[in-house]
Amino acid sequence: MTLLWDTRNLFIRALKKLTRNPILIFFSLFQPIIFLVLFTQLFHDFNLLPGFPPGVSYLQFAAAGILLQNAFSSALQSGTSIVDDLNSGFLQKMLVTQVARPAILLGRLLTDACRVTVQSIIILALAFALGFRIESGIPGFLLIIFIIAFFGFAWSGISLAIGMRTRSTETVFGIGFTLSFPLLFMSTALVPVSFMPTWMQDVSSVNPITYAVNAVRDLSLPGYFSLSAELTALGVIAGIAVVTMGATLYLFRKVVS
Amino acid sequence: MSTTDLITVDNLVEVYADGTKAVDGISFKVRDGEFFGFLGPNGAGKSTTIKILTTLLRKTSGTVTIAGYDLEKHPKEIRKLIGVQSQDTAVDPELTGRENMMLQGELQQMHGKVLGERVDHLLEVVGLKDAADKRAGRYSGGMKKRLDLACTLVHEPKVLFLDEPTTGLDPQSRNTMWDYMESLNEKQGITIFLTTQYLEEADRLCDRLCIVDNGKIVAEGSPVGLKQEIGADAITITMESSAGATKEATKVAAKQVLSTLPAVVNTIDAEDGLTIYAKNGGIFIPELIRAFDKANIRLVSINVSTPSLDDVFLKHTGKRIRAEELVKQPSRAGFGRR
Repeated sequence: MTLLWDTRNLFIRALKKLTRNPILIFFSLFQPIIFLVLFTQLFHDFNLLPGFPPGVSYLQFAAAGILLQNAFSSALQSGTSIVDDLNSGFLQKMLVTQVARPAILLGRLLTDACRVTVQSIIILALAFALGFRIESGIPGFLLIIFIIAFFGFAWSGISLAIGMRTRSTETVFGIGFTLSFPLLFMSTALVPVSFMPTWMQDVSSVNPITYAVNAVRDLSLPGYFSLSAELTALGVIAGIAVVTMGATLYLFRKVVS
Repeated sequence: MSTTDLITVDNLVEVYADGTKAVDGISFKVRDGEFFGFLGPNGAGKSTTIKILTTLLRKTSGTVTIAGYDLEKHPKEIRKLIGVQSQDTAVDPELTGRENMMLQGELQQMHGKVLGERVDHLLEVVGLKDAADKRAGRYSGGMKKRLDLACTLVHEPKVLFLDEPTTGLDPQSRNTMWDYMESLNEKQGITIFLTTQYLEEADRLCDRLCIVDNGKIVAEGSPVGLKQEIGADAITITMESSAGATKEATKVAAKQVLSTLPAVVNTIDAEDGLTIYAKNGGIFIPELIRAFDKANIRLVSINVSTPSLDDVFLKHTGKRIRAEELVKQPSRAGFGRR
């Protein structure tokens, strides 16, 4: 009970901070919007190449990738918040209260999931204006949002762990940036897997971004939906979540004690 | 003040991962209702001790109990009883003063109307009622400290740990903080554990204090008791030369009189008079006046200065705390050490 209540209160605190400093919502939106507007123009004729899903525009294809790319890099910034609390002494101030310890992390993660959701809706709205459509309708839209938020939630843990370990905002940003691009390009986010050289196809097939991207893409393209692909993606994300939460909790214990 | 020990610390040691002994086997007791202090320079181990006592840092060895609870076995119970103000002013700049306090109260498991009323009351006590709904980021340094202090009080703690609560404050804000701390201790009976590197802060506020240096307690007692340990007050006198006698002759006569007084430890020639080191200056002065009256030497002025805690620190460590303090707070010169 205490855990739920404390999580709720810390979630509200972080939401208040976010709404009073909305630049944090829009800051990371710059890149996906550039992708959405410029990439889709630049690679407009990709869909003429063999191997591209027939009858699908590049925008329709890449939107899923851009959404997940945003979720990924946004999640990898979430560690900066805990760095701030660590360095300002606010974390210590919380730790000398009776707060349920995990609530400090959970409140944070929920807020980050919220942030990614808001960002994703903005990106989807812009994509919609450019002609993107979700073929599976409202249920598909909701499932897409859920997958993206869950994906963000899972990766936020890594960032929190890095933040607690290094206590440096710059390092959190740096590592986030370094990780997000290679993983993005070696996934099916921006091109079909058949476009890649063999070795990259291998990397892509174990790249968690690929699974999430495919799950979202299958929901937006006509006739691609497959329950097993959706479940696989959710399973992969859950697996990541378990690993990152484990690491985060372990480091948090060290900070706490 | 009762005679119950609220905090007992026995042979506490903290060794950091790099081998530094931050706390090197200290033992002390704090009584219920006492205003207790740790006075020492930066790096003496004050903050480390507070972090251990407030469950933030795991001790290397030793035993600590607070209100009968063992620190290691019952950290949760201890957290209910304590309020902690750390050295950094940890208020959330993006939340308002009231929101900061409400959050703190919620984390201390207080809710609803009870919490709301408590917060309103405390905001009034620390003089932040009018600024309550402004973001804390826009507060002045003194206001932030007061908000921070109010946050530590939300759940009505039995013991307050204040880690250098006035460092970096201007003299006026510092005085205000002192008033609050005194009133919390005297009127509400809250036991206070304070760390400071300011001599006058320890002197004014503490019932009892430990002087710490390099992770060790080098002296312990009441401020008055510690200063008395120095053994003598410095009394500077000037005299009127009696008719026909030179200044020097008067001094010689005065010295002769002084040598008959058992309280005098030492007499030194001062610029235009004499400096006498004597035990219990207050008691000694009437004696001095009577003796000089008898010998027909007329006193023009008497200036008593009691030894400061800095003299105590000097005696036990061979160095002064004050030097660093002056560098950090140049505006504080003349802020009444004596």
